[in-house]
Amino acid sequence: MRESIIMKIHYGTALAAVALVAVHILMRLTQGFAESLQYDSVITNYKFLPYAGMLEIILILLSIHGFNGLRVILLELKQGRAYEKAVSYGCIVAIIALIVYGSRTIIMVNTGMM
Amino acid sequence: MTNQDEHKEGIGGMINPRRYGVERVAYLLMRLSGLGLLAYFIGHIYETSTILKGQVGWNEFLELTQTNAGHAILAIVIAMCVFHTVNGIRVMLGHGGIGVGKPARPDYPYTPASQNIRHKIGIYSAIILAAIAMMYGLTVMFGE
Repeated sequence: MRESIIMKIHYGTALAAVALVAVHILMRLTQGFAESLQYDSVITNYKFLPYAGMLEIILILLSIHGFNGLRVILLELKQGRAYEKAVSYGCIVAIIALIVYGSRTIIMVNTGMM
Repeated sequence: MTNQDEHKEGIGGMINPRRYGVERVAYLLMRLSGLGLLAYFIGHIYETSTILKGQVGWNEFLELTQTNAGHAILAIVIAMCVFHTVNGIRVMLGHGGIGVGKPARPDYPYTPASQNIRHKIGIYSAIILAAIAMMYGLTVMFGE
């Protein structure tokens, strides 16, 4: 994929994540920070499908943005065909692994499989 | 001591914030905050997965984070998040050609048009907003 397209994805995921993370943080503040972290409150949040969907979208957006940012930093430090391929594919694997691990939590709590 | 070419300084040269002005400081802070936020994000995903262990598991992990040190780390995360967001928007605007000035003939002393007062204000605003957000976060966390 061309770097120009990757950077558009990088910026797009950033802007979308800013809006959704703001909602995520506001949910903590409207409930009261300590109360919002109580077990029952967190379970209620996860079971509310629109909120669980939003968490899933945030997970995907930030995983892509975060590991692409790491890829950019690593490619600034060192270049070379094999190194660049290793970094790029390593980041793709990390993105997939983090999304799968995070999705597991969201899906299992939302559907009551715990 | 040998006179080393500044282009061969490696990572030390890349992260040296003492040269090239506040833009280099912003460059460095952008990368540091990005790496910090990625580390926090991975930790946050692991932290939230402890809810699968039930109420006991969740409360045990929550006790680890609801300490003074935990709150201090979260305050730093808030500051990194705000700086990364505000400075990121500045960088995006710059990449889109907004606020970088008009192209002109390069005359001595070759002042870069893109490193102008608008972007410097953007960088300082990001730092100030990050500090304010961190203070607000500390007030919320320690106020309860």
